Amino acid sequence: MKILVCVKQVPDMESRFKVNSEGVWYDEKDLAFKLNEYDEFALEQAVRVKEQLGNTVDITVLSIGPDRVVEAIKKGLAMGGDRGIHIKDDHPWQKDPWQIASVIAAFARDKNFDLVFTGLQSQDRGSAQVGGILAELLGFACATTLVAFELNGDLVTVRQELDGGMCAILKFKLPAVVTCQMGLNTPRYPTLPNIMKARQKELLAFPVTNFIGPKNLAATERMYLPEKKGHGLVLEGDVNEVADRLVGVLKEKTTVLR
Amino acid sequence: MNYTREFYWNVGHGVVIPMFTFTAITAAILIYGFIRRIRIYRMGKPLPRLDHLPTRIFRLINRGLVQLRVMIVKAPGITHALQFWGMLLLLVGTIIVMIQVDFTQPLFNLKFIHGTFYLVFSLTLDIAGAVVAVMLAGFLVRRFIYKPKGLATIRDDYIIYGTLFAILVTAYLIEGARMAVTEINQDPYLAMFSPVGLLVAHLLSGLSESTLREMHKILWWVHFFLAVGLIAAIPFTKLRHLFTTPINYLFADLREKGSLATINLEAADVDNFGVARLADLTWKDIFDADACTSCKRCQDRCPAWATDKPLSPMKVVQQIGEVAFFHPEANLIDTVTRDVLWACTTCYACQEICPADIEHVNKILEMRRNLVLMQGEFPGNEVMTAVNNTEVNGNPFGLAFASRGDWANGLDVQRMADGGAVDILYFAGCYASFDKRNQEVARNFIKICNAAGVKVGILGKEEKCCGEPERKLGNEYVYQTVAAENIKKIKGYGVKKIVTTCPHCFNTLGRDYKDLGLDVEVEHYSTFLNRLIGEGTLRLNQQTFDCTYHDSCYIGRYKGIYQEPRNILHSAGGSIMEMAKKEENSFCCGGGGGRVLAEEKLGRRINVERVKMAQATGAPLMVSNCPFCLTMFEDGIKTGGFQEKLRVRDLSEIIVERIAS
Repeated sequence: MKILVCVKQVPDMESRFKVNSEGVWYDEKDLAFKLNEYDEFALEQAVRVKEQLGNTVDITVLSIGPDRVVEAIKKGLAMGGDRGIHIKDDHPWQKDPWQIASVIAAFARDKNFDLVFTGLQSQDRGSAQVGGILAELLGFACATTLVAFELNGDLVTVRQELDGGMCAILKFKLPAVVTCQMGLNTPRYPTLPNIMKARQKELLAFPVTNFIGPKNLAATERMYLPEKKGHGLVLEGDVNEVADRLVGVLKEKTTVLR
Repeated sequence: MNYTREFYWNVGHGVVIPMFTFTAITAAILIYGFIRRIRIYRMGKPLPRLDHLPTRIFRLINRGLVQLRVMIVKAPGITHALQFWGMLLLLVGTIIVMIQVDFTQPLFNLKFIHGTFYLVFSLTLDIAGAVVAVMLAGFLVRRFIYKPKGLATIRDDYIIYGTLFAILVTAYLIEGARMAVTEINQDPYLAMFSPVGLLVAHLLSGLSESTLREMHKILWWVHFFLAVGLIAAIPFTKLRHLFTTPINYLFADLREKGSLATINLEAADVDNFGVARLADLTWKDIFDADACTSCKRCQDRCPAWATDKPLSPMKVVQQIGEVAFFHPEANLIDTVTRDVLWACTTCYACQEICPADIEHVNKILEMRRNLVLMQGEFPGNEVMTAVNNTEVNGNPFGLAFASRGDWANGLDVQRMADGGAVDILYFAGCYASFDKRNQEVARNFIKICNAAGVKVGILGKEEKCCGEPERKLGNEYVYQTVAAENIKKIKGYGVKKIVTTCPHCFNTLGRDYKDLGLDVEVEHYSTFLNRLIGEGTLRLNQQTFDCTYHDSCYIGRYKGIYQEPRNILHSAGGSIMEMAKKEENSFCCGGGGGRVLAEEKLGRRINVERVKMAQATGAPLMVSNCPFCLTMFEDGIKTGGFQEKLRVRDLSEIIVERIAS
């Protein structure tokens, strides 16, 4: 069985974001990058499938982006991926989800993947579209927002999180693309021997131009930080005094006490 | 008058051949017993422990012969020392007799045990025996009547106490019987040089000579067999410590305290890290188990044990021995258990007090290394998050690395990236950089340095966690990753001297980074500021106050810095009301060993215990000089409900308020 895991490297959300000079994306200066959290669930699930079925499973970890994304691929290899694919693109943010999915599909089309795992969405752009579009382009079955996954032969059974606390159980046959939500699993911490082995694993790099097909369907017009409307207020000091001040604030600024 | 006595009196020289035959058998059993144990020690990995031989021999004399370590705990220690010296004299006396009677006399007709030497010899051995008997009685009372908490009594104890007592009783009965027949009538003056023997002789004097001679002959053999029996039992009972403990002094870890082997992460052929199986240990780790005397001094001082956690350093060491000798296939981590391993704060109290030079802490850390590096396990998800955060942002809180130097905004401090000469590099560490309470410490330190005219540089956003908590949690990989980045920056700026406010950074940069190629002078602000005050560069207004001072583990026990912070407090006008557990005996705040990042789920809270001790001094103020201690105590004061009675402050806060303009 061949599995593809599509991962993205994203800035740590605690970082201080600034809009870049083009005004359509963030400036990468002073940002710490890491593996997209949802993609960690995807990687973990892929490795669990491999543990379930044994060494007949081959896991490819793919990422699109500049050289720094190699770190994300290596983390995937350390968690249990078998080979890495780095599609080099210094400006991946200029591609919309449709174009990103098209690049992945162009790479994956002739590789006979049975199962594609990816995160529900990226923590930076958060479009949650790449997985779905990729399934459509490859002609695979698709399930998104998974919180449970089970594979029996070529039958996949998943639990999908819906709005309002509802869940759906879906069953479908391979090949399939699935996108992973928090709660699906707890990603493992890579062991040191696996981190070392990951350094020796195959990691192929291709220029993104090899896979370029259609143009963007959507363009980013402008990016800006949300305007500051309100601000938090921390009351400190003696309990009685704080309580009085809280009552004052509630009376003055809200309607709850009227 | 030529004083002496007839050796082999009554039993005759005919006993020599059977005696030596049995002695040879005893020696063979003794050697066989130890060879079997040595085979087990050798199941561990090699570790060179015979460098600096003169130092080691000196240590052996000091701690073995002179019993300096044992006597640190007064009552049982001095009792042990007196018993040891008494037994040693008896052994030497027996050997002296053997040399004359069995070698020099038959071979060269040379006799030297006579005259004044005999008088001294006789009196010394007689009293030595009495001292041993009294000390043994003392130990009997302690073990079976007084029963200190945690003292385990096993089969060996009954065998050893019983046999030793029987050996002493038969010895005096033999001497008494001989004297009753001979000296007591023939040479009363000589008899006075065996006072205890004389007493026994008087008790026996009513018996007829033939009865005495018969009794003497039988008891002589009983005594002999008891003695050789006990010697033969040495390798098979707790008595083995007669050999293993002194030898352990010889094999002691002479590196700087707190040294932990730096793993070579680039070694291609290594596929196992840390300790899970017997073969992962060094021979010394197994030998340590044999050197343990079960004195439980470590357990008595362990903050985890004291707060009802399952960790006893003694038991960890002994469990390693049990695995080595009885279940060599067992998994050490499963035997010791994860809860035990994660409970350690690496406070070093166990190792500091150990009278056998056993290395407890590194055994625990090596097993943690296996858990983290080989199995990806942590004490809790909060710790895994903190370690992941350190990988991404260089601090366990997961805060933006770019904001690391923000605490220094508006202060007169040089960011190294901006260029310019500095006197010292201040390595702030994660807590002083990000934790609101500890940021005050960093700012104070800069203000104090400014007042003393010291130009300070910081790495700011280029600084990363020193890696200490991660390393002590077993994650050598993350430690070496952040360390390499710090070292690159520090070397790149040509830093000559580093000062830290965090004892953990201080230990790590100054000692552990050496293995990774950084060799720069590193100092903790306690000694740095004490010197500035001493030199008159930093002048303080004395304002009197009462306080108690908490010796942090990584300043105190690890680095031996006890006086300097106290000097600073005195210079600032402080009167120190000391806690009972201070200096070498200080009690951990609970934050060491990476525990500051972990939730304390088992037992009572260590920080609350320590806050209670501080509060018991009656001082309204507790002063510390470690960000982990400050954090733990702020929390301990709140959770323990001591807000009305006690405040905790950092040393820098005391100083900054008293800077003379």
